[in-house]
Amino acid sequence: MDLIDTNIALSDEDDEEEITAEVVLKTLQSAWQNERLAPEILPHRNDMVECMLGQIQHMERNINKLPKIDLRASIHKMELSRIKFIICNYLKTRINKIEKYCIPILNEERQRMETGSNYLTPTEFKYAQEFVMNMENHVKTVVLSKMPGNMQLFEMNKMAEHPNLHSHVFLKANETVTGIVLEDLAGEDEEIDLEEGSQHILQYKPIADLIKNGKVQLI
Amino acid sequence: MDPYEVEFIGENRIVSIIPNFTYDKIYLICGEFGPFRAGLPMNVPLWLAMMLKQKQKCRIVPPDWMDLDVLENIKEEEKRSRFFTKMPNEHYMVEAKLILGAASEDVPNAAEIKTIIKDIWDIRMSKLRTSMDALMKSGGGYGRLDHLTMMEINSAKPLLPSAMDYLLQIQMKAQKKVTQQSLLNTSTFSQSGSSQNT
Repeated sequence: MDLIDTNIALSDEDDEEEITAEVVLKTLQSAWQNERLAPEILPHRNDMVECMLGQIQHMERNINKLPKIDLRASIHKMELSRIKFIICNYLKTRINKIEKYCIPILNEERQRMETGSNYLTPTEFKYAQEFVMNMENHVKTVVLSKMPGNMQLFEMNKMAEHPNLHSHVFLKANETVTGIVLEDLAGEDEEIDLEEGSQHILQYKPIADLIKNGKVQLI
Repeated sequence: MDPYEVEFIGENRIVSIIPNFTYDKIYLICGEFGPFRAGLPMNVPLWLAMMLKQKQKCRIVPPDWMDLDVLENIKEEEKRSRFFTKMPNEHYMVEAKLILGAASEDVPNAAEIKTIIKDIWDIRMSKLRTSMDALMKSGGGYGRLDHLTMMEINSAKPLLPSAMDYLLQIQMKAQKKVTQQSLLNTSTFSQSGSSQNT
């Protein structure tokens, strides 16, 4: 008995592409690793998460049909636990970032939504909105309402905490990328090339787009 | 990232085992493995090898590089070279720790191998510290770290990126001061959420 559909139909609006569960898992794992290590929130990979969750459910149903002491059952369970760990940790990391940088994330997300290149899933967006709203209400009831009238204004932008895009990260190049410009404060910009497979430490900002299009991997 | 997460990633490496039971091919999400034939070597992910070993259902075939002569050469090479040499395995430390921890009886000369891997690790770590020191002293904001394994990079993480972040902040502040030429401007040293999630 096969416990798994090795080919999953990933329905993506117009074109339906077939990818294997193995590829989905690899993509998820690298998305998780990038999300853990990047200072800002990255575009969501909800397609992969949903696809994997469906696969897990399907397999769990099949495992339950196997006798409990079956070796295969415990192997499959172990693998599923590993995958669930990745998914949970990935989603939690995103939630942590959303809570920490909620104000700039919401502002930027509203702009991105106009162009249709949103980073958050609809549920994450709703969560972020409610989080900011609750924070505002909380600050108002606990502190601001007790203040003199001219100090009661809630200044959203002064509360905002921004991710530090100048922070340094480690990365590995998945493919050769040439002409990365490293800004130098003295005005002498340096240009470097990332050869395929090479590893570097540098500022996040110049390579942010390369992470989003998969040309480099954070390590 | 925590070391256990690096270990988790390393556990996806494929290793060779000799099962003591016979079973059909198994179709996992990460790929298909098997068929299991008692006494015949086969490849599985490290996490599965560890699980089967704990259930006493297999022997582990030590990887080619887990050999005294090979490791001795690596150690000499590492000592000789100014740069980091390429390790036989992207996760050598994780693999060594798990295999020698759970299956030391399957590896000939396990105790000596453990010592020599530790030596190699120590040599590389001291090199890493020296190069971090040099990088900081040169005031650079960029470094290349070929051949460092993930666990080694991870061990530098609490320190190196945040040190570089602070250096950059100080340089930015200094720059601002020079351009503004306003000595009276006493700015407080603000700490903007640097290097989270490391």
